Amino acid sequence: MNLNRVWAMVLRYVCNMRHSLDRLSDMFYWPAIDLFVWGLTGLYLAQLINKSHQYLFVILSGLVFWLIIWRAQYEITISLLSEFWDRNIVNLFTTPLTLSELMVSFMIFGFLKTIGSLAFSATLAYLLYGFNVFYFGWNLVWFFMNLMLTGWAVGFLVGSVLVRYGQKFQAIGWAGVALISPFSAIYYPVSVLPHWAQKISAVIPSTYIFEAIREMLFTHKVSYDKIWISFILNFIYLTIAIIFFRYMFDKSRKLGLGRLV
Amino acid sequence: MKNDIVLDVKHLTKKFSDFIAVDDLSLSIRQGEVLGLLGPNGAGKTTTIQMLLGVMEQTSGSIEYFGKEFPKYRQETLSMINFSSTYISMPWEFTLEEILMLYARLYEVPDKKKRIDKLLKEFEIYDMRKKQFKMLSAGEKTRLFLAKAFLNYPKLILLDEPTASLDPDIAVKIREFLKRERSEYNTSMLFTSHNMAEVEEMCERVIIMKSGKIIDEDTPENLAKKIKGAHVELLIIKDHTKLLDFLDKQKYLYEVDNRTIRVAIDEQNISGFLHSLFTEKIKCDEININKPTLEDYFLQVVNSEKGDTQ
Repeated sequence: MNLNRVWAMVLRYVCNMRHSLDRLSDMFYWPAIDLFVWGLTGLYLAQLINKSHQYLFVILSGLVFWLIIWRAQYEITISLLSEFWDRNIVNLFTTPLTLSELMVSFMIFGFLKTIGSLAFSATLAYLLYGFNVFYFGWNLVWFFMNLMLTGWAVGFLVGSVLVRYGQKFQAIGWAGVALISPFSAIYYPVSVLPHWAQKISAVIPSTYIFEAIREMLFTHKVSYDKIWISFILNFIYLTIAIIFFRYMFDKSRKLGLGRLV
Repeated sequence: MKNDIVLDVKHLTKKFSDFIAVDDLSLSIRQGEVLGLLGPNGAGKTTTIQMLLGVMEQTSGSIEYFGKEFPKYRQETLSMINFSSTYISMPWEFTLEEILMLYARLYEVPDKKKRIDKLLKEFEIYDMRKKQFKMLSAGEKTRLFLAKAFLNYPKLILLDEPTASLDPDIAVKIREFLKRERSEYNTSMLFTSHNMAEVEEMCERVIIMKSGKIIDEDTPENLAKKIKGAHVELLIIKDHTKLLDFLDKQKYLYEVDNRTIRVAIDEQNISGFLHSLFTEKIKCDEININKPTLEDYFLQVVNSEKGDTQ
């Protein structure tokens, strides 16, 4: 692993963002829209029910923390797709750059962009609704870390399809992570899901984090067992996703990377 | 001289299901040598180059760079070689400077800024260094690809149509640059081009591919010599009856195009033919001798069913 090359690729995506207004604006635009629309909806519902802010905070925490998974996944798949769109993938792999270095650069760039996007959303949620993410204290780090890992795992699984089949499947680059959102119990407890869906939700790592977040909001207690289960599941899925991504990349290289552009 | 070989390819084959794109190809390039790889469209040149660069995996066969197995020593090898092709692209929104800086970082080029400025000036694109890639003309893009290809002081460079889309004056400068690089740094080159005059000028040795196979390999001069027929063009402004009578009598094959008579003749018989004209007192206003070129040979190979030039 050569860190100079990893950093070169991180700078490549930073530079890409600087040139591309839509990639810069998506850091702020959608989180802001979501916070306005769903935050106000939550505020209205809270006023209707019992004037308690707890339900509003459930929705706000869902919005803010889901952003982490979505952003982590999105930055992997869109960075990969940008190499296809720029017809640059062949150039990259004729340099000493390795697949591992490229993958790490996706993760670092995604991490940096997620921090930026999360800081913006958290600030907005505080200013608009008085929702302070620092209420979670140091547990914020565990939540953030686990949700990033889930996003990366989904990102590499979706990326595996893209790297093997190219741009014809590019729609999943944006929407891939949406598949796990109904089962992640972002805005509602797992118990409201149908029985079959609860079984699926039990093997999704983000479910445990959103359950832990809600538990903290309602009971002010931290459920470390949920955080640990999430971490173990994330470790397994991310390992599988990375192995699968490498496998699909090798399959693709057999046919020639030139066909991806 | 085994240690003189920078690229050694043995029995390289690429199959896509039942289709054989490259069939048992073996070639080698010595240090400082410029090898031409020619062939019609679909001959397997691009597939070969992709395998040589490691962006496509061969079905069988081996590739060795500098005596080391590829892609086992992929990183070490790729840091010493580079490539340029007009069939690739670059980050669309990036400026020339940003593109070259990205690749300079990936190749870990020392003193990046200085090297980039030197190459931008060398390829006469320094003034447009702040221009975005998407704004460049085809010729400017080609020059950028070449600048990228020389960033890491490569010991071997794969050039796929290096002067395509270039104005003739720039193409001449690029060829001069390539020759200079070769003489100063002993850089080896694998060269594909559809410009046969360029291949004749640049390459010491040429490999001809057709349908995935090597069908011939020699110096450009020797390949051209495989075509025995030459042409002598005679321009007679006033009356060419005497000449036509002579040609008919001697059973020469010829074509008449207005005042120009084009006589097909073996290269070794040209001097005898010209001497006969002199002794027969046939006066010509202009004489042109067209010897077979690499292009003639290439066209014959491309047009022949089995690639048999004899």
